[in-house]
Amino acid sequence: MAADDRATDRARTGPGGRDRGPDGDALRTVERPTLSVRNLQTAFFTDKETIRAVDGIGFDVREGETVGIVGESGSGKSVTARSIMGLVDSPGHVLEGSIEFRGRATLRRLADRFSGRTADVAGVEEADRAGAADDDDFVFVEEWDDGEPAAGYVEITRAPEKARRRLRGGGIAMIFQDPLTSLNPVYTVGNQIKEALRLHQGLKGSAATDEAVNLLEAVSIPDAHRRVTEYPHQFSGGMRQRAVIAMALACEPDLLICDEPTTALDVTIQAQILELLGDIQEERGLSIVFITHDMGVIAEIADRVNVMYAGEIVETAAAPELFGDPKHPYTRGLLESIPGRHPDDDRLRTIEGDVPTPNAPPTDCRFAPRCPEAFAECETVHPVSVAVNDDAGDHTAACLLYPEDRSREESVETHRARDASYAGGDGGGESGSGRDAAGETGPTEAGTETSEGGEPARRGGGQP
Amino acid sequence: MSRWSYFAKRLVLSVPVLLFGTSLVFIIIRLGPIDPVSAILGQNPDPRAYNNIAVQLGLQTPGGEPVPIWRQYIDYMTDLLTFDLGQSWVIKPSTGVYSIIASRAPQTIWLGFWSVLIALFIGIPLGFYAGLNPNTWSDYTASFGGIVWRAMPNFWLAVILVSVLSQSENFLFGFDWQSFVTETNVVTSPSLGFLTDPGQFVANPGPTFEEFVAATKQILPAALVLGSASMGNEMRIGRTAVLETINSDYVETAKAKGLPPRSIVWKHVFRNALIPLVPIITAEAFVLIGGSVLVETVFAINGIGKLFYEAILNGDIPLVGSLTFFFIILTLSLNILQDFLYTVIDPRVGYESD
Repeated sequence: MAADDRATDRARTGPGGRDRGPDGDALRTVERPTLSVRNLQTAFFTDKETIRAVDGIGFDVREGETVGIVGESGSGKSVTARSIMGLVDSPGHVLEGSIEFRGRATLRRLADRFSGRTADVAGVEEADRAGAADDDDFVFVEEWDDGEPAAGYVEITRAPEKARRRLRGGGIAMIFQDPLTSLNPVYTVGNQIKEALRLHQGLKGSAATDEAVNLLEAVSIPDAHRRVTEYPHQFSGGMRQRAVIAMALACEPDLLICDEPTTALDVTIQAQILELLGDIQEERGLSIVFITHDMGVIAEIADRVNVMYAGEIVETAAAPELFGDPKHPYTRGLLESIPGRHPDDDRLRTIEGDVPTPNAPPTDCRFAPRCPEAFAECETVHPVSVAVNDDAGDHTAACLLYPEDRSREESVETHRARDASYAGGDGGGESGSGRDAAGETGPTEAGTETSEGGEPARRGGGQP
Repeated sequence: MSRWSYFAKRLVLSVPVLLFGTSLVFIIIRLGPIDPVSAILGQNPDPRAYNNIAVQLGLQTPGGEPVPIWRQYIDYMTDLLTFDLGQSWVIKPSTGVYSIIASRAPQTIWLGFWSVLIALFIGIPLGFYAGLNPNTWSDYTASFGGIVWRAMPNFWLAVILVSVLSQSENFLFGFDWQSFVTETNVVTSPSLGFLTDPGQFVANPGPTFEEFVAATKQILPAALVLGSASMGNEMRIGRTAVLETINSDYVETAKAKGLPPRSIVWKHVFRNALIPLVPIITAEAFVLIGGSVLVETVFAINGIGKLFYEAILNGDIPLVGSLTFFFIILTLSLNILQDFLYTVIDPRVGYESD
């Protein structure tokens, strides 16, 4: 089925899930990303309006890689994380898109538990996969090893709540912003870690206690034997965040989502936590999605960076490139606003205005009202992600200024055509264009109930 | 400071509160408008009899000198603190206060027990249920019901309930409350023989059980009235507490850990939601003391509340003093119970960063 086409295709397009360049060259890697998000749309339905908090984003996270998502408050970072975790609460819904997760242990567990909803697509050519999978399948096995699934993925958007629960923690763990409130005050830290151990590793009693002590030691909490019996209020802020990390590790995840984990901590503690995350990643081969509004933190920890604005990813690049040569005016504005960059200025630089609330499918550039480089077309053409220039490996930006080695008219036309082909719906599949960095967002998200249920699924496809 | 030394501190602190409370009672009674001797002898007493009684009561020396008020205060406090409650003067002259209270207490305890139970086991589960299903029709129904129960004054509800239940066959489509399950009167004091002699349940199960059922049925309307406000309160607070807890970060963390909803609700939500309910429940218990005076009077239950009311009307000073003393002790014990519950439920209690 279509999802599989995309998966294989993506494997060819390489690290950032980059769109194939205009001349059709593609980076080829064998390794497939641990997590790949495509055309994810999450909206909140209120009486007044529909807020498209996440509006068609896509990115990949490879094994052992740290991917940063950065943006102002209200740009949709946390909703992205919650969509991946399946934790979007009513009135929010994931409308559309695919989230493929390739954690091996999770795949095996879910294939075993939900064998009725597992599709065997091993050896099936991409084109024929539609026949191999049922409509309600959400586990796709591509390779078998002795009757055990060895490769494949779980399509999170199609998974039932029961499966998502098994995925949470065990496959994808999450750390939240405020360590002071993310631990339950009435249970000991050990109790809460052991709860995760029992759930995901089946450990009980003294074995669980020993493992909890080991985990606390692994996150550099001194005197772990005593600490394991203490309550959260007896821990300092940094210690609590370490305990939260230990709790996440207790689930043995393949992917760790950190939603502003250092925002509530002071700078020295912040550095320690970042270092700890780095060490843990190296030790366990964890993939990390790191969400923050702090450019400094991102520079320190991320391998790749996605810049989000009003529900969309506006620029994607490897971290050194993004910081060395930012392309999108919004990214430049963000970097300019870091205090200390211009020591001679009397006033700190800011980006004027606020993040707009994305309550309708975009027909223009959402950043245009605040953009210092905006021109007339910015108001009428919605920019899609394109390579910033012909040589750019995997540096994309959603801005009408790019590709920068074309004339302005040519660039605008490229964006207009791609956005139209996307909005046009059915033709999108292999046209090699897409609004998100990953391109190839097929229209046939057959499994998403929402698009079938007549929800306002597709941008440009009419008002909700 | 550990949780338990905090608890011990609270325990010690209740001693001055007890002393202060009893002193206040002394001031109100002795310095108030009631002349105890006149209360016993009636208006225009014989002067000699008056003097005799006054000496007897410790208000005058045999020589006719009035005993100074500080002397009376010390006598009064010594008596109370040594639990020498003396004898009733008016209600049942020459009967020990202890035996009067002992004969009335079971009725009140029985009433209080059921009204607390009704509030706890209807109010809190209903509130938790509404909190777990916010903004649904069942939530609206429960919340509206909670407000209505909370708003109905219990003296009014008591009268209405008595009049409806005494002629229930006319109002409730032929349902006859008085002959329902077992034949009882609406306005009556339940007979509680089984409370004083629980051995009867084993020795003589049949009739004792019947007595138990009858006593329960008799107390239920009164308990419902007495517990109605508490029930509404606990429902409302329970709903809010659950809503607050369920949106907290640690519940989100628990979800992110992959815990099933059942264990999130029972382990992570309910225990935290109970914390704000503890003072509500214990505070409701104080209200029950005041409310029992009213409800016992309307339902003609011979309990302590009614006794207190009669004692005040008749100026039976030792009885009033002793009952107040008794209420103070009860209130203090409830406070201590509250601290104890806090200490058990919430590990942060008594914590100071040291």
